Amino acid sequence: MKGAFRMKGAFRMKEDRKVIHILIVMSVLFLSLVVYLTYFELFVKDRIITNSYNQRQWEAEEDTIRGRILDKNGIVLADSPKTEDGWKRTYPHGSLYSHVIGYNSRTYGKSMLEASYNDYLLGSERGIFDFGNRDESGMRYGDDVYLTLDHELQKLASQLLGDRNGAVVAMNPKTGEILALVSKPAFDPNEDKLSANWQAMVESEDAIFLPRATQGLYTPGSTYKTVISAGALENGMEDLVIEDKGTVTIDGKPFSNTGKKAYGKIDMKKALAVSSNVFFSQVGVELGENVLRSLADRFGLGKDIPFEIPVTKSRFPYDSMGKTDMASVAIGQGKLQVTPLHMAMITSCIANNGVMMKPYMVSRVVSHDGDEIKVTEPSVLYNVMSTQTAGAIKLMMREVVKSGTGKSAAIEGVNVAGKTGSAENELTAEGEAKNHAWFISFAPVENPKIAVAVILEYSGTTGGGSAAPIARELMKAYLKK
Amino acid sequence: MLIASYKRPVSLVVLADILAFGLLFFYREPHDFYILGVGLLIITLIAGTYLFIVKKELGDEYLFLIVSMLASVGFIMIYRLNRGLGFKQIVWFSGGIVLFFLSYFIYIRIKIWNKLMYAYAFASFGLFLVTLVFGSNIKGSTNWIVIKGFSFQPSELIKILFIFTLACYLTHSEQIFLNALTLKLKQIKIKGRIALMAIVYMFMGFLVMQRDWGTALLFFIIYITMMYVFDADMKFLLLNVIIAALGGTAGYFALYHIRVRVVTWLNPWADIAGKGYQITQSLFAIGSGGFFGTGLGMGRPDYIPEVTTDFIFSAICEEMGIFGGVAVILLYFLLAYRGIKIVLKTGDTFKKAVALGITCMFGFQTFIIIGGVIKLIPLTGITLPFISYGGSSLTTSFIQLGILEAVSREGGQDEGSISDEGSISDEGR
Repeated sequence: MKGAFRMKGAFRMKEDRKVIHILIVMSVLFLSLVVYLTYFELFVKDRIITNSYNQRQWEAEEDTIRGRILDKNGIVLADSPKTEDGWKRTYPHGSLYSHVIGYNSRTYGKSMLEASYNDYLLGSERGIFDFGNRDESGMRYGDDVYLTLDHELQKLASQLLGDRNGAVVAMNPKTGEILALVSKPAFDPNEDKLSANWQAMVESEDAIFLPRATQGLYTPGSTYKTVISAGALENGMEDLVIEDKGTVTIDGKPFSNTGKKAYGKIDMKKALAVSSNVFFSQVGVELGENVLRSLADRFGLGKDIPFEIPVTKSRFPYDSMGKTDMASVAIGQGKLQVTPLHMAMITSCIANNGVMMKPYMVSRVVSHDGDEIKVTEPSVLYNVMSTQTAGAIKLMMREVVKSGTGKSAAIEGVNVAGKTGSAENELTAEGEAKNHAWFISFAPVENPKIAVAVILEYSGTTGGGSAAPIARELMKAYLKK
Repeated sequence: MLIASYKRPVSLVVLADILAFGLLFFYREPHDFYILGVGLLIITLIAGTYLFIVKKELGDEYLFLIVSMLASVGFIMIYRLNRGLGFKQIVWFSGGIVLFFLSYFIYIRIKIWNKLMYAYAFASFGLFLVTLVFGSNIKGSTNWIVIKGFSFQPSELIKILFIFTLACYLTHSEQIFLNALTLKLKQIKIKGRIALMAIVYMFMGFLVMQRDWGTALLFFIIYITMMYVFDADMKFLLLNVIIAALGGTAGYFALYHIRVRVVTWLNPWADIAGKGYQITQSLFAIGSGGFFGTGLGMGRPDYIPEVTTDFIFSAICEEMGIFGGVAVILLYFLLAYRGIKIVLKTGDTFKKAVALGITCMFGFQTFIIIGGVIKLIPLTGITLPFISYGGSSLTTSFIQLGILEAVSREGGQDEGSISDEGSISDEGR
């Protein structure tokens, strides 16, 4: 009983309080294990388990017939036919979809849609209580993935690009559906071709594996003047007239039009049509750093673009801006960088009355038995500007094709709007005539059905001369349907 | 007796085992009838041991329950991974229970544990020397002794000796010096501390020589913990931490092996086929399981290297899910909680220190290895107590558990009640 008496009171010894501290430390450590495991499960694992060193992902493939990938009209773009040595992933159109669908290879892993839609393609999203979707031998069928891409348009875009390096993005401005997504150079993702060419492709200076449309960063050049126009219109400059003498000096640095051509007294519509650097560089300085910065932010520069395959963020990397920086940004030069997909989205946003739609290219996932597993609905990404502002820019871009630098994009009987651009790069900085050629456009102006962005790397030509015809042919083909 | 005990928590362990062994029996054809026999044996062993502990009032009744659940999870996983090792693990488990009782009764019978500091230290150093001279290199650490095909890891046994050494010092710090040297009490204490520090660093030094970083780290944490609780001098504690930090930094720059561990912790993906292989395979396994796991026998934990020992937690996460993994972590937490409770209830400093040392050994060892395989901290290969495959690890863990159980009984006797949980938990009254 004497012992029991000693027990009374919270702690018998001064050590006991410290023992409690040790218990607290251990609790924190154990809790950190639980928290980290949860964090890992929620935020980390999706990124890592598709790594080609994870041999598990091929396990599911042993008893699953990988789902097909089809275009909007049901043309098969990736298939898994049975061969002598089992089911084999094949890409009937060779290099055409290498930067969209990617590849599925035991040696090289998975990329693009093959990676991001792996769970659907293997049917593992259906869960363990799925007893249908099997063939006679008990092989499971994966789900088929239908794209919004139009195979004919994709083929045409690729043909038009030819062997030039660059990218073409075509989308429906009202929904955000991607209609064509071509990056060149491309490669054949079939397993045998992949292993035959891998080493050479890895070592190639052409960056063959770079999906230019979604991950290539380019200076937007004069195409960015459409964005600046939105800023100018919102800040009461719709009636601004500037005397264009061919060159203007800002903070000691000259800003010149192409060929130092002088246009005399011009308003904004004319300035956009002829792509006057003199006009827009001064507008940029007038708008000031804050407006330029918030414009870029509203149009999505520096933000993640949600998409089914990885997209690089467009960049607006200024810590602080001097006047020459403001002038450079206003004519789309300087440190600005955008992806062709993003440029197509900006074009679509103008076409769609200032509403930027979330881009997507997987329309639905359908099981082998025909059940719809997943359907993508169009959704708004950002409300960027008012209908009036967008309407005014539309008319200005119409003028570019009607009478300005983008005439070669004109289609008979259709009102086409567009904007040319030529982007400086590391070669033009050395004085070589090797700028990138840009063209963005949409049609018809009154009811836009397609928006196109085209870039040709190091073409040395103007956007109007080389990129605009590609956009024209695409829009023509699409609108004829 | 068995029927009357259905309300006791042991029925949960038995139920879990019945389900698990049933799964193991059914999941693969042809059916393995041995597994049913083995399952019955395990269940009988666990239930019998538990009821014996309760009936004879041997002390804390939850320690063994928690541990038997952990060991069941381990056994199920090991058997599923490698049938041969599974059977061996059963032998170790049975031997572990025998050792549990042996150490329990021997510990209670002998009363001079707190006076044998030199014996513990010398025995440890002897074992270390034997390992260094006759040791075999298995998995990169030279900490195994192989006698006629039977391999044994002395560092597991040294864990116990280390705890006893510390506890002796903390109880009678004068033990460390000959009486002839004592002039003033204060002086002795300071000198004693430094001498103890030297002894601890010798332990760690031997472990580092064996490249057993995990255990070295574990020993240091135990040392710091014990000094924090029983020796109030914060300056001295800080000094130790600084020395360890300097030593760690020097080791990072001087020793390639330590650098590799840190580098592969920060970015294992850079050399995924080489140095990062183990940890990335572990992460693949954990990621593939999701919250609910693939189900027992449905995953591919066999891709993970060292899966039955160091990486068994990753296999548990793959097949039993993150929730399964969290459940295991919570079981260890319960074990640590029970251990701490025993520490608090014990009045005698030596026993208190021993109980704290053992509890911390279980707790921190678990954190170091689980944190390692999930890439929360750099990976150091040590076993997961009671779950990992391995005779040395499992049996010495049971010896520690036996000692902890013995302390719980003696601590509990102060109160005059042990088996009735209701009256124990009213310390605050």
